[in-house]
Amino acid sequence: MELFSLGIRSIFIDNMVFAYFLGMCSFLAVSKKVSTALGLGAAVIFVLTVTTPANWLLNEYVLKEGALSWAGDTFATIDLSFLRFIMFIAIIAAIVQLVEMVVEKFAPALYGALGIFLPLIAVNCAILGGSLFMAQRDYTLAEATVYGFGSGTGFFLAIVALAAIREKLKYSNVPNGLKGLGITMLLTGLMGIAFMSFMGIDL
Amino acid sequence: MQQSNTYIITFSIILTVVLGLLLSGTSQVLGPLQKKAEELDAKKQILGAVLDADQLKALKPEEILSFYESRISSKVVDIEGKEVTQNPDGSPMVAEKVNVGKNYKMAPESRLYPIYVYHTEGKPESVESYILPVYGAGLWDEIWGYVALQTDLSTIEGVTFSHKGETPGLGARITSPDVQQRYQGKQIFDESGNLQSVSMQKGEGKDYSEDSHKVDGLSGATITAVGVNNMLKNYLQYYSSFLSSQKSGQQTEVVAVN
Amino acid sequence: MSTETTISEIKKPAEALLSKRRKKLVTDPLIDSNPITIQVLGICSALAVTTQMQPTLIMAISVIFVIVLSNFVISLMRNTIPSRVRIIVQLAVVATLVTLVSELLKAFAYDMYKELSVFVGLIITNCIVMGRLEAFALGNKPYDSILDGFGSALGYSWIILAVAFFRELFGSGSVFGVPVFDTLAGFIGDDFSFATNGLMVTPVGAFIILGLIIWVQRTKTGYVEH
Repeated sequence: MELFSLGIRSIFIDNMVFAYFLGMCSFLAVSKKVSTALGLGAAVIFVLTVTTPANWLLNEYVLKEGALSWAGDTFATIDLSFLRFIMFIAIIAAIVQLVEMVVEKFAPALYGALGIFLPLIAVNCAILGGSLFMAQRDYTLAEATVYGFGSGTGFFLAIVALAAIREKLKYSNVPNGLKGLGITMLLTGLMGIAFMSFMGIDL
Repeated sequence: MQQSNTYIITFSIILTVVLGLLLSGTSQVLGPLQKKAEELDAKKQILGAVLDADQLKALKPEEILSFYESRISSKVVDIEGKEVTQNPDGSPMVAEKVNVGKNYKMAPESRLYPIYVYHTEGKPESVESYILPVYGAGLWDEIWGYVALQTDLSTIEGVTFSHKGETPGLGARITSPDVQQRYQGKQIFDESGNLQSVSMQKGEGKDYSEDSHKVDGLSGATITAVGVNNMLKNYLQYYSSFLSSQKSGQQTEVVAVN
Repeated sequence: MSTETTISEIKKPAEALLSKRRKKLVTDPLIDSNPITIQVLGICSALAVTTQMQPTLIMAISVIFVIVLSNFVISLMRNTIPSRVRIIVQLAVVATLVTLVSELLKAFAYDMYKELSVFVGLIITNCIVMGRLEAFALGNKPYDSILDGFGSALGYSWIILAVAFFRELFGSGSVFGVPVFDTLAGFIGDDFSFATNGLMVTPVGAFIILGLIIWVQRTKTGYVEH
């Protein structure tokens, strides 16, 4: 039940895009067509669901203060948390690379759909953000996994919805200066207001 | 141009070693300073419950530490109000080391409850107030704070609240001094000695100075206010065994050692 | 991450320290090819901290530090980096610099460290940093790279500071924590008051302010996106 409410929270209330502005670069760049947005969204869900627990393990058993105590008493006081950023990003980049190779080999069709987005994802703030929030909030392994999946889904919803609106927007007469990025920011703001109505729901 | 694998691997190893040395070097150099900054931050928050924000601001970092040293003594109790003096591994229990946020994730019965005693300078036995940490959930994320009780163990001397991610300008106002001042002088027990806690009301701008268990609310941040109310009620409940034992025997002995 | 300004190196023996071309490296990203409003990069970490001026300023300084230094370091190593692993090398250098910033903040400005929390770490994935490394530092000399990084970082900084200015002014009625409207009320009279706009402190306010800034700026420069 706890996990379920965490999942709902991370999809709607703590939405990566509308509440924390994470993943904005790809959110804006890849939201021109629904089909590409679907691809990127799915890739983000997948990568977040894998990297968040992976980084949780890394953080719990290597980086945290006292995390190395399984290796013996001499290591019990070591605090490697200063390596957090570099290790997290390395793990993310490595996993993304690995996933890309595996998908290419075993599921060429899926690779055709997701493949081009995977390299983009290594530097997507939402992915690193997911791991950093997970570390900061002291989640358990199960919570970290659910959180990763939930945040990914939140991003997916946001980017697909925005892409759908932008497809329609092509037929509207937008002032020159607002075309493209400007109107998209305003739209995102309005969508943010819609998502704000989820806040305050007690789970 | 394509480099050979040996070159790539050598390059990676050298880079890793250089960056690793750089990072661990900085962390070694800055480590003590960071520890001090963290300690200062925690002590500042504890003192915030008994000192005005302006008073606290006027103090320099070293002054805060020495002030804390001379005026605060601390201990840790369990849910039954018994003092806990040792960690499970046998090392002495230090209240400042207890992470209230981590304990918050455990069942109330197994949590550790630190207590900070604010006393006259140099005289630990002449207590001025008891500072109790509280912890709970706000609208978005966790909220926490410290409640200082006067020696009657019912009148609130002062409170201080912090939060992780409440809405700025709405729920985040719990950190502002004028909201916290509303708690001063309120009673957590009623006349017959039942725990009533103090609760923020819905809506803002009413005068609750007559009612000793109510304070003015935060407009637009009802859920944060409810979170604060629950946090206070729960934690005062958890501390109630300690409070009543303290009340009955003013000076309780150390009952048990874990 | 497609950027255009890969200026071919001019082979002249001694170029002035601040030649016209070099000045352009710094001034171009301020308006004409601003990383946020024109190139749509680095919005991620930019907006979350802009509810108030002070954390925004710290963020801007951190970003300037990271971009300039990483551009410099990568440019120094540009001929030795194996091209197959260059992305991860760049990430490693950037992550190291960001860790340094975060450690320094934790030691010397703990309040700010708490306030910025994970968003300092997210500078790593700020697309401006990686974008400049890929598009410029890998192919240009160190000094030029520093200027280029500095320009881009300034372009980023003034936008987020502008967003923060409006958000803090209208959302909290203050600038750098100084209550502007209350002070004004002291001069004009007590009947002057300002009701703060709660929307401005929420993420929505940031999107709308940024949208408006982009509108104004693009109208002025005449840039039209298709």
